[in-house]
Amino acid sequence: MAEKKKSSPSIRRSEDQQAYDRLIGLGKGMVDEVDQGTTPTFETSLRGKSNILFDSAGYLKLGDKKETRKFMNLGQARVFMQTISVANKLKQFIREDLHTSIRGLYYQLKFSLGDDLDESLFEEQSESNVLVEDLEVALGAKREDFHLTTDRKGVLAGNIKLIDRFGGEEITIDGTKQGRSGWMIPSDVDNGMEIESLNANYVLVVEKDALWQRLNEDRFWQKEKAILITPKGQSSRGTRRIIRKLADRGLPIYVFTDCDAWGWYIYWTLKTGSMNLAYLGKDFSIPNSRFIGVTMSDIDRYSFLQKLTINAKELDIKRAKEMMEYPWIARHPEWVKELKKVLETKKKIEQDALQGQRLTFVSEYVKDKIEHNEMLP
Amino acid sequence: MDPNQTPTLSANSDIGTQRDTHKDFKEHSVAEFFKKNKHMLGFSGKTRSLTTIIHEYITNSLDACDEHGILPNIKVEIIEIGEDKYRVVVSDNGPGMPKNIIGKALGKMLAGTKFHRYMQQRGQQGIGATGCTMFAQITTGQAVHVLSAHNGKMLSCDVMVNLKTNEPDMTVIGEQDASYHGLTIEAEFGDVKFDKSSYGVLEYLKKTAIANPHAQIELIAPGNEYYKFSRSIETVPKKPKEVKPHPLGISIYDLQAMAQNSKEPKLSSFLIDSFSRFSPQKVSELKEIIDVDFSKSPKELSWEDSEKLVKAIQKLKWIAPPLDSVIPIGKDQIEKSMRNILDPEFMNVAERDIKIYSGGIPFAVEVGIAFGGKINEQKGEIYRYANRTPLMFDASGCAIATAIKEIDWKRYGIDMETDPAVIFVNISSVHIPYVGAGKQAISDIEEVQQEIKNAIMEAARGIKISLGRKRKAGDMEKKKTALLRYISRLSEDLTNLAETGTKEDLQKKLTNIIETRYMTSMVGEEEEAKPESSGAAEGEENGGEKEE
Repeated sequence: MAEKKKSSPSIRRSEDQQAYDRLIGLGKGMVDEVDQGTTPTFETSLRGKSNILFDSAGYLKLGDKKETRKFMNLGQARVFMQTISVANKLKQFIREDLHTSIRGLYYQLKFSLGDDLDESLFEEQSESNVLVEDLEVALGAKREDFHLTTDRKGVLAGNIKLIDRFGGEEITIDGTKQGRSGWMIPSDVDNGMEIESLNANYVLVVEKDALWQRLNEDRFWQKEKAILITPKGQSSRGTRRIIRKLADRGLPIYVFTDCDAWGWYIYWTLKTGSMNLAYLGKDFSIPNSRFIGVTMSDIDRYSFLQKLTINAKELDIKRAKEMMEYPWIARHPEWVKELKKVLETKKKIEQDALQGQRLTFVSEYVKDKIEHNEMLP
Repeated sequence: MDPNQTPTLSANSDIGTQRDTHKDFKEHSVAEFFKKNKHMLGFSGKTRSLTTIIHEYITNSLDACDEHGILPNIKVEIIEIGEDKYRVVVSDNGPGMPKNIIGKALGKMLAGTKFHRYMQQRGQQGIGATGCTMFAQITTGQAVHVLSAHNGKMLSCDVMVNLKTNEPDMTVIGEQDASYHGLTIEAEFGDVKFDKSSYGVLEYLKKTAIANPHAQIELIAPGNEYYKFSRSIETVPKKPKEVKPHPLGISIYDLQAMAQNSKEPKLSSFLIDSFSRFSPQKVSELKEIIDVDFSKSPKELSWEDSEKLVKAIQKLKWIAPPLDSVIPIGKDQIEKSMRNILDPEFMNVAERDIKIYSGGIPFAVEVGIAFGGKINEQKGEIYRYANRTPLMFDASGCAIATAIKEIDWKRYGIDMETDPAVIFVNISSVHIPYVGAGKQAISDIEEVQQEIKNAIMEAARGIKISLGRKRKAGDMEKKKTALLRYISRLSEDLTNLAETGTKEDLQKKLTNIIETRYMTSMVGEEEEAKPESSGAAEGEENGGEKEE
């Protein structure tokens, strides 16, 4: 058993050290239970709808409802064993200072339980994915702390310098020198990465990459002293974390999306977190972010848009209705008004429509909105 | 085949005729008649014939032992001496027979020692042993050799039946003092066959042993194969009370046979003397209903008149016979012997109150169901008994079989087609309601059949509980196995995760927790569960070590 080495010299960073200690603590607690002659138990918060609350600080979070799994409960025995296998593997990743994806983790654990047993530790990746979430919730850690990488998607440009300690090197990343492509936001911006300097007035999050490229070409970030980010659709974990970190530094966060169901979802996920990821709400939400647009009211404000609307799809209508039901949205009369308009007109507007008159209008639009504080909460 | 019913009727008419015209009767002695109709005595088919022979001797031995309060030791030896030819030796430790009885018992039809006595006994016809003598005579020409140790004397003799006169033909070979008692009958039979089929001798003796837990029965089968059914209890059964037959229980056949043997001058006095509850008042009541001459000799009672009498008797009101004439085997006794001989996994015996049929005949039904264990070839097999005597033939026409068919076995979790189960049904009564004179099937009298059904269902309920428990234990076992297969992996990962202790230590502790947990919830099932579970744990441990 090579894993038995107890020294872990390579661990030097605090968040994953904390996760590492919590993993050991989890195991010790279970061994104690066995020593007392009782079944080992694993407690984690329920992640179902019934246990999702809206925190007064402005984000979705899990409530107090707990689920306790017992190894001796036949229905839970297999998943219990799997949980411990995942926990032990994650501990090994941290100790060896190696990273992998949840798929890599799955392959590390996909093996037979024994020569004489027709059963594998894991059959499907979906089995291990959910256990990673369980451990994140139970141990109050993020998967990034467990050395699990996620897909990178977001791109950033602006006056920011970051230090990236990676592969034994220390590199400084300059957000002003990323050319046309921008800096690709890594999956983990917490471990081995820190902001060295920051000189910006606000953060602009642009849903679509095309619009981001448009604004980048305009040197918008330079002119406006902004950090220009596109999540390229729904935000990845790394993107959400870096936006949150910038918000924590006191920068206002403005979000600019299509005026449709998907756009609203992107905004609200960034702002309050989502139901699916309520367990991450506390660290991933940006409750103070504001919505620049596109809004239905923009049709009145910029008359040329009237001809550029497209018909809302059923999904958009359905989504608008649902959003009006969410208490954390319904409490904002501005949003209710906006959504009602969608239901009345059954129209939607894309970000791209703003280029209808002239390409550089996008920059003007954003500036105009910010200047006049024409934003939704 | 239904060999018994119709011919029996004519047989009795013949018996009547023979008695009536005693002097000039030559051609049609009762012995002659049975020689021609030997199937009526059970001599049809080679295997069945041999079983019938053993049955006749064994029931006589058991009855004699019971009456004298002796725990029976019965030994049967069957030696093959030619094609379809066997020598049979049956010996017991009973009282033996006095010289003057031997001839009658073994060489005269319808003259058995039991015939005139009414008590609950195995053999009641009294033609059995003589039938064997006759069968030996006609198939091998040999006499039956008898060794009877009785009252300090040991008599050795040969017995034959004079087929013309139905009189015994006895040749005394020797006589000497003896310090023991017992009877040995040795005879050679042709046209018989020993095999191990369900109609064969071995099966018959096994069934007999089950219903007679106080008896020890040994068999030396052809080829020197030795079988022993040891006794399951050490107490002699309660001696049956001698009671006169109750009028309601009498069949036409029995009435005829009794009348032939009666010494009473008149039919009326014969009835009053032979039956319980039969008063002169009842005779006059009968006179009012039927046209039968009650002043003639009972020997002259015709079959038709018997039939009229029996029917009329059913119409009168009678005081019921005493219940204590019924002697069941007993719940514990049945349980002990079924366990001893069948060695099932579990069993249940229904003990029922004595019931009444035909308005006054007391009877008792006992049912034992044995399930699983050493029983594996018998699938839903029925062991039928009347007064402890196995009913080997005519199963399809028997009320016991009908009752079993009527039961919805699914309700009890038993599949009669595929489950290893033996259903033991014994009916005890002074008057067993047989179908015909073959005495191999119980008639479908409603009260009797219903009681059989109720008794079987009662026994089946116990089996259902045991099966439920067993299935639950099986579930527990499965759960345990399912858990045990995970502990090797869990122990290894958990030891590494916690960075404490050893995998082996943790695995041992987890195994203990599983063992305890899945043991305490199975009250009463420890014995069955223990060996299997520790086995499974060991297997798992080995598997775990291999993995390392």
